[in-house]
Formats: sequence, C-alpha cells, structure tokens
Amino acid sequence: TPTSPSAPKPLYLCSPFVEAALVKGNFKTIVMLPKYADVMEWVAVNVFEFYTNLNQFYGVLAECCTAQSCPTMSAGPNLNYTWINQDRKSVQLPAPTYVDYVMTWVQNLLDDETVFPTKSGRDFSPNFPATVKHVYRQLLRVFAHLYHAHYPQILHLRSEGHFNSLFAHFLAFGKEYELLEPKDIKGQQGAVVGIGALWDKWKEMGILESA
Amino acid sequence: SSNKGADYVYFERTTAGFSDDAVPRSKAAQLKLEHYYKVAVEAAIERNQRRVELERKLAADPTMSEERKQRQLQQLGKRESAFLRLRRTKLGLDDFRTVKVIGKGAFGEVRVVQKTDTGKIYAMKTLRKDEMLKKDQLAHVRAERDVLAESNSPWVVQLYYSFQDPSYLYLIMEFLPGGDLMTMLIKYDTFSEDVTRFYIAECVLAIEAVHQLGFIHRDIKPDNILIDKDGHIKLSDFGLSTGFHKQHDSSYYQRLLDSANGVTSPTAAAQAARNSVMVNSINLTMSSKDQIATWKANRRKLAYSTVGTPDYIAPEIFLQKGYGNECDWWSLGAIMFECLVGYPPFCSESTHETYQKILQWQHYLTFPDDVHLSREAEDLIRRLITSPDRRLAVEQIKKHPFFYGVDWNAIRNIEAPFIPRLRSITDTSYFPTEELEQVPDEPVNADTTGANKDLAFLGYTFKRFTISSQAF
Ligand SMILES: Nc1ncnc2c1ncn2[C@@H]1O[C@H](COP(=O)(O)OP(=O)(O)OP(=O)(O)O)[C@@H](O)[C@H]1O
Repeated sequence: TPTSPSAPKPLYLCSPFVEAALVKGNFKTIVMLPKYADVMEWVAVNVFEFYTNLNQFYGVLAECCTAQSCPTMSAGPNLNYTWINQDRKSVQLPAPTYVDYVMTWVQNLLDDETVFPTKSGRDFSPNFPATVKHVYRQLLRVFAHLYHAHYPQILHLRSEGHFNSLFAHFLAFGKEYELLEPKDIKGQQGAVVGIGALWDKWKEMGILESA
Repeated sequence: SSNKGADYVYFERTTAGFSDDAVPRSKAAQLKLEHYYKVAVEAAIERNQRRVELERKLAADPTMSEERKQRQLQQLGKRESAFLRLRRTKLGLDDFRTVKVIGKGAFGEVRVVQKTDTGKIYAMKTLRKDEMLKKDQLAHVRAERDVLAESNSPWVVQLYYSFQDPSYLYLIMEFLPGGDLMTMLIKYDTFSEDVTRFYIAECVLAIEAVHQLGFIHRDIKPDNILIDKDGHIKLSDFGLSTGFHKQHDSSYYQRLLDSANGVTSPTAAAQAARNSVMVNSINLTMSSKDQIATWKANRRKLAYSTVGTPDYIAPEIFLQKGYGNECDWWSLGAIMFECLVGYPPFCSESTHETYQKILQWQHYLTFPDDVHLSREAEDLIRRLITSPDRRLAVEQIKKHPFFYGVDWNAIRNIEAPFIPRLRSITDTSYFPTEELEQVPDEPVNADTTGANKDLAFLGYTFKRFTISSQAF
C-alpha cells in the first residue's frame, strides 16, 4: 500500500480521542423510524438537523480552513475530492470553496419546497430518496475533510466528544436508511478515506453496529 | 486509567492560534449539540409513550373493529409525521394573511390571521423590537414565550409559533373569539355576584395554574383575561411575568414614579398622597355612576398606552423590597372590585395618583354607598387587597364563603354565563375593531418578503406535540 509504515497514526484513531463521545450507548433510540410515521419525513428532518449541526461546527473551524491551509478538499493521504462543475468537468477546489459549495447547495435544497416540502398537503417527490443520498454523500465528505485536516483543532477546542458523536450518529443513520455506500466511507485502493479506518474502529469497539 | 494501550497519545491543548471568538463559538456549538441530543432522546421517549398508550387503549377495546383500530394508528402516524415536518418549517409573516386587527397592546397590535396553507385561524401578536429595547422589555418576551409555550394548561392561551424579522417579534397564538373581560366590563358596567363568582373562580384556577408553572404573572388585569368560544376564560399576556425576579423591573416602576412628580422615594410618594387627600374627598362625593362614566371614557386609551394601567398592580411591586406570587391575588381582588363596583378600587384621574393610592391603600380602599355588595364579597376583596402577609393563599381563597357552591374541579365544564354568539371562525364582533380601523393590516416596516424566516419555535417544538398537531 502507498501508506508508509512510518506514517503516524491519525489522532482521531488514537486513545483517548477515538472513544471520546458526548452520546454514550446505542444510537438506535434516535435512529429507528418511529412506528407509523412516514419514513420520508423522518429522513428529511434528520438530514435537516445533520446539516444544521455540521454547519455549526464548520462555522467554528472555518477560520482554520483556508485556501492556504487547505488548497484541496483532502480526506486522506492520497485523496482529494473533486467537484463536478457546470460543464460536468471534475475540478479541484480549495476545501473552503468546496465546503461552501456543498453547504450552499444543501441549504438551497432544504429551502426548496419542491424538494423538502414544509407546507401542509405537499408531498415529497419520487426523486427524494436519490436527492437525499446525494446530499448525504456530500455531507460525509465535509466530515471526512474535517477529520483528516482539522482534527487537532477540534482537540484544541475540546470538541472531539461532540464531533465524534455527531459523526457516529450520522454514520448510524446513514446505514439504517442506506444513504451511504461502504465505498463512500472507505474510498478505494490507493485513495482511502481517512475516516474509513475510524468507521472500522468504531464497529470494532461497539460504538457502531457491525454487519 | 491503568491500561492505556499502545494507541494512547498525549496532546497538548492550546487555543493560542485561534481568533478571540473561536472559543466561545465552539462552546456555543457544543451546548447546542448537547441540547439537540437531550431533546432528541426526550422526543423519542415521548413518541414511544404516545404510541404505547394508544396501542394499549385500542387493545383494551373489544368493541372497536380491527379496521378502525388500524385507522387510528395511521392517524397517529400522520400526526407524528406532521410534527416532524414542523421541525423543518420556517415561518414568516408571508405565511399568514390578516383577517382583522382586533387589539392593541403596549408594543404592537393583535390581529386575527389565517395560515395560508392550512386555512387555520390564529391570533397574531406583534411586538416592536425598538420600542421594547427602549423599555428594557426584550427579556420579558422570552418570559412570555416560555410561559405560553411550556404550559399545556387550559387556563393559559396557547402559543403555536413564534418568529421574528428585524423590526418585530411575532407570537402566533390560539384565537379566543370571545374578547376580553375589559371589553365585557365596558359593555355591562358591572356584573351580578353570581356572574362575578364565575369569572373570579375561573381566574383563581388560572392564576394557580400559572403559579404551578413557576411563574408570577404580575400583570393580571381585565385586558389579559380572554374569553374562549364557550365563554370560559384564559390568561394571556405574560409580557411582565417572569420565572426570575428581575431587578430592573422595580427600578422601572421607580422611574415611572419619579418622573410623574419629581417624587424621589416611596415614602415621599406616600407623603404626596396624603397631601392630595382633597382630590379624593371630591371623588367620594361623586356617585359611582359618574365615576364609572369617567373611568370608562379613559379605560381603553389607557390600555393602548405604553405605560399601561397600574390599577391592578400590588403595592409591594412598586417598592424595592421584593415580592412573591401573592401579588397576583391582590390584582384579582382589584378585578373583583371592578366587576362588582364598575371601576377598580384605586382609579384616578392620572396614573400618578393611582400609584399613590395603591401605596396608601389603607386610606383609599373604600366601598361606595350606592353599590350593594354582599358581606362575603366585600370580605373576600378586603382579604385580597391587603398587605402580602395577611393576603389569603390559594387554598384559603377557594374555601372562602364567597365561593360557596363552586365546584372547583368542574367549573370549566359548566355552562358559562355569557357564551359568545359567533357566526364564523373569524367572527370579531366581540372586539372593538371599529376603534382600530386606522391600524394597518400589515405591521409597518415588517418583512413581508419572507426573507427573514425563522425556524418555527426554536427549542419548544417537541413540547408542543398534542397542541401543535391540532394546529395543522
Ligand atoms: N389570543 C388572543 N385571542 C383573542 N384576542 C386576543 C388574544 N390576545 C390578545 N387579544 C386581544 O388583544 C388585546 C391586547 O393584547 P395584549 O393584552 O396581549 O397586548 P399587550 O401588548 O400585552 O398589552 P398590555 O401589555 O398593555 O396588556 C387584548 O386585550 C385582547 O382583546
């Protein structure tokens, strides 16, 4: 593998940070679909809240995530996400620009009555599941970048327990509603996502369910 | 601990490289997330309870068909889903259409509005931020929203949503079509003792409910006693009530006192009151009919002014010495007096004089000769309009002979003395709408573009399940 054996282990995989958590115990109570409720509404409100909470944390870390510090949307030693622009070309963007595109795009979707209806009597469109998967994948990339590039700053701000729980919840929810593919979380040979190892570790530790 | 393992690392934390507000902002983000998870867990538990309760109820009912049971469970699912949707719903002024202006308060107006997507009717109270800032009242709005949002009480006007734009705060409440007690008193002058017993008894339960929520209302007056479609009362306007006693409140009254007459202390105010005893003796020679007429001519104007009427406020609130929830029972005594006599006990030509009379209540609480009150009624009033240490507490009030025959557990279910006759869900005939014709349909300078939408309800969404689900 391209990772040299001498590369230091990322801090988020190390004790005591890997087990730091705001929410202890199983996420099942808050992930499971409330009986008789509409699954679309449940997914919609949760995506809305993941976005809000993640945005909140990114807002704090934004001052550390600049075009200078993060010229690419990195998420692993050999992984930089690319953005598909209007001409359908995939382009490298500085991480703050990339994140801004993601957040603006998601915010616009959340504000769009045809995608995330809030008015009484309006239904979700048949595309909703596909759109949400797309949103979820992009939010995962923001998490992945923060873990890969800004975890020391999270530690300086003593936010690791909070951030870990938000991400673990995000993963648990994504798995339950099939919003994430394992390859999104783990990446590919030669371009692994840093948080893929965290996902494995949390499963091993019982923080997330395996299988 | 002992087994730190090979992965254990030490990390030197420092906030040296961060901007000044990074630390407080990260703390705020942490607190929000803690709140989010706390509420998420509570909501899951409550949702579960609702479901289990319904399932149990249905299982225990052998007469209901299986199909109907299924329908009820689906209905529950619909309500839960609608409730989830509410959490994402941002509201702004453009989600409501004004039907009619129905009231005016110190900081804005009250309108009957219709939510455009559901067609549901609400009362919308607007509060001007700049006016409130001038009067240090913004903290009070929070209190108002807290009380209205946290109570499930049938005695308190329900708050469904709140939002804001740069100019206004908006409270969307249930609409009580029967008007208020002030308007009713303007119409009827006085009530019989039976009618008074009904309203005052309901007020006792309402005030008790507010106290049980941990709040002191402090501003109970006939304008804040609203009448629902069945003629029963609910309390509104928690503008001044607060769970915590705020120091600046008493200084606010103090400033009012000072500005009124160059008077500098309550003692001096009392002195001034003593000197104006002549004014009072002239009043005493007036028949109560004349008093009622003068009083009523000014009543509504006073209700619309930012100073408000001090007529029902207990004396200890004006003093700097602190007070408890007994102050609300004084207000009730003043309202009861007004119901039977036609004007409140300390009403005067000016607010300043009213303050003075309240501080010197021992000298000024008199019952006019030409109005007959039963011994029980007068006794109850005298046991409410008295010093805090002698004032009756709620249990004693309920046992007072004036309330003989009142069924405290069932009063909300009995027929009210005046039941509003309503022609539609937006009937506003119980409100002085003709006096409010110059008030514009939309608040001036409000954001009607919807650009400033707020998340419905901030932290309260989860608590409002039963209520909000009716609101769709
Ligand atoms: N929920 C409601 N349903 C029907 N009418 C209402 C409602 N809320 C208020 N009103 C009407 O509007 C009037 C003014 O409301 P309110 O007393 O709450 O205003 P305010 O700004 O608090 O005034 P103040 O502080 O002087 O009491 C009330 O007297 C009543 O007639």
